[in-house]
Amino acid sequence: MDAAKETSWEPKIITFLCNWCSYAGADLAGVSRIQYPASTRTIRVPCSGRVNPLFILRALQNGADGILVSGCHPGDCHYLSGNYAARRKFSILAGLLEHVGIEKERVQFSWVSAAEAGRFAEVITEITEDVKKLGPANRMVKKRVH
Amino acid sequence: MENLSKEIREAVKKLFEEDKVDLVIGFENGSLPLKATPCFIRNIDDIDRLVWNSRCENNLAVYLTKNKGKIGIVAKGCDSRAIVGLMQENQIDRENLVIIGIPCGGMVDQKKIEKSLQEKEPLEVKENHDSLVIKGNGFEETLKISDILYDNCMSCKHRNPVIHDVLIGEPVEEQDDVDEFAGVKAFEEKSSDERWDHFVKQGEKCIRCYACRNACPFCFCEECSVDSSQPQWFGKSIALSDTQVFHLMRSFHIAGRCVDCGACVRACPMDVDLRFFNKKIEKDVRELFSHEAGIDPEAAPPLNTYNTDDYDDFIKS
Amino acid sequence: MKEMIIKKDALMNLLTGRADDCQVFAPVEVEGSLVIKEIQPGDEITISSMNTKASIKETFFPQRERLFSYDLSKPGEMKEPPFSDRKRIVFGIRPCDAKSLTVFDCVFKGKDYPDPYYIDKRDNTIVIAVGCNEPSTTCFCSDTGAGPFSTDGADLLLVDLDGSYLVRVVTEKGESFVNENTAFTEAGQQQAETRDAIVDKATKAVHAQVNPDKVKKKLDDGFDSNVWDIIHEKCIGCGTCTYLCPTCHCFDIVDETTGTTGERLRIWDSCMYPFFTLHASGGNPRKTGKERMRQRVMHKFKYFVDNNEMVACTGCGRCVKYCPVNLDIREILKQIEVS
Repeated sequence: MDAAKETSWEPKIITFLCNWCSYAGADLAGVSRIQYPASTRTIRVPCSGRVNPLFILRALQNGADGILVSGCHPGDCHYLSGNYAARRKFSILAGLLEHVGIEKERVQFSWVSAAEAGRFAEVITEITEDVKKLGPANRMVKKRVH
Repeated sequence: MENLSKEIREAVKKLFEEDKVDLVIGFENGSLPLKATPCFIRNIDDIDRLVWNSRCENNLAVYLTKNKGKIGIVAKGCDSRAIVGLMQENQIDRENLVIIGIPCGGMVDQKKIEKSLQEKEPLEVKENHDSLVIKGNGFEETLKISDILYDNCMSCKHRNPVIHDVLIGEPVEEQDDVDEFAGVKAFEEKSSDERWDHFVKQGEKCIRCYACRNACPFCFCEECSVDSSQPQWFGKSIALSDTQVFHLMRSFHIAGRCVDCGACVRACPMDVDLRFFNKKIEKDVRELFSHEAGIDPEAAPPLNTYNTDDYDDFIKS
Repeated sequence: MKEMIIKKDALMNLLTGRADDCQVFAPVEVEGSLVIKEIQPGDEITISSMNTKASIKETFFPQRERLFSYDLSKPGEMKEPPFSDRKRIVFGIRPCDAKSLTVFDCVFKGKDYPDPYYIDKRDNTIVIAVGCNEPSTTCFCSDTGAGPFSTDGADLLLVDLDGSYLVRVVTEKGESFVNENTAFTEAGQQQAETRDAIVDKATKAVHAQVNPDKVKKKLDDGFDSNVWDIIHEKCIGCGTCTYLCPTCHCFDIVDETTGTTGERLRIWDSCMYPFFTLHASGGNPRKTGKERMRQRVMHKFKYFVDNNEMVACTGCGRCVKYCPVNLDIREILKQIEVS
């Protein structure tokens, strides 16, 4: 990445946020006026367990530069075990994506509670910086018929 | 091999006589010299069609979810593991299933044979204990079976059926000293770019014929999400990105189920390296959740369950 | 029929030298498999006794083809892909694949529904087929009205005489191609005799296995025959046979929109898939493998014959060779014949 590109280009990051924790955390970050990069496009989900791995792949296909799935800390799931199921799923998915050559930093996962507004801002800042280092997504992006 | 075929026929005859089965799914000689093909026996008069040899490569468990009634099935090691997997998922009626287990020395890879014959065409094949004698126009070649096995057979750890009601022949020695994940490990050593290049090549080969999916005993969904048009989850074309997503999702769907029977690899007309995905997932499932697919009918499918202290390192908290 | 001779090297030079002013498609070995692709500098054209895995149809009827693109913010505006008058040469396909173009012509070049996308490619292409000196055991081209040296669908048919090709000039298009190039010389008596011997030997090697006429008679009133109950049994319902088939031409149309822009695509579809006939109501007239298998056989050996007086099968044997469960179309036809 050259320096000029780094300053002018803002990545698009899709964030899947659990309604009961991370989404509220993002909300709290907002009302608390905590600053973080405006790189995210948020999709609210009822639980991190709702996130089908296909959603992540579709986001990559459609040109998302980064993807974050964020849910409740283990033990805090509103539905008791949704995040545990999600964790198993995503540990396999993360391994598979890395195996086929998708950069590890493009698809990330976090646990952020409704009270952790500062943490939410940190997570977004981190993933934005990670993705900026990688540059725009190219792998998996769907191309039109030439 | 002749003896084993005979033993199968006798076992099946007995099952029909005792009225334990209405249908037996086994193998018969195919239309090409190197092929055996699945056959459906409904009548005691037809049992002589049944054969056993090193070309009985299909996983017959794929037919179990499509047929009803009292069924007998010829099952080698991997078929039996697929049956166990289907039992875990409540897909078969064990009461009405007779498993005719048969220890397996591995199946011969048609493509490896083709390669070693170069462009000569086999017209006649004879199988001895550990070799194939292949005859054609003006040539005769003897190939050692252990040299031309499918890759997954070479690293198979369960050649003997893990579950059976009748056992044909004698158990064979298991290959305890092979590392079944050697290929995945070697691949993991490569750079991200090299792995991506390999993935691109596989995606470019795919013609979306779904032979891999349809040959797989675990792709038993009545409606596959790939086919669905309302909503349309998947891009339908052979755009590289769409074939890649298809393969990632298909292998993900059989995570914790795949028994590495190789049915998908054998079915694929375009030589897509499907074990590249499946074996990686199998390795991760083994390492992270200590689960080996198709061994214990009572075990919960690993993605249907969880532990509170599951692997967590990849998640920021 | 006019016959010429050309040295193999001279023909290869001619083909690779033409890559500037036209597209040349020919068999090339990629990762151990023979595929037909557009020749790029450095590619080596490979003519072996094996046929290519995929058929020629991708070159005339791509598996993914844009019909037009659109912008939702500009209703009614559609942009068709540019039709090019760039010449194309298809070289090295077998007579079975060349013959398949005559099947495609019936469908996409007929007078009722001429298809501009197909016609554009077909009319700009010279088809140079190579006869089969050594047919394979999976071949049954002689039974389907073609044969290892059939000229159907080709503009030029080549006979391999070791160091050179004997060139049979089939069409006017082929004739003008030959006339444009000085590397072609008139064939002599001796070469014609060698050709006869080769053709004779190869033709004898393709044994008669199925009789489409007899099959057709059975199919005429065989819709409700109980033969359909058994022949589909081991079929796993994949699309290998239809996608590798040089004559299968069913397709689906999908719109792919991202944001406000998108394109309408024509993509291959297969009658072996349950979704092929799924109605919007949820009903499906071909619910099980039985109905779908019946459709595939009926379409190739009855309906197409009724409409076009030829079977929609060229006997290339790809479905025989690559079927994952060795469900051999020849066996199916034999079973129907004796039913």
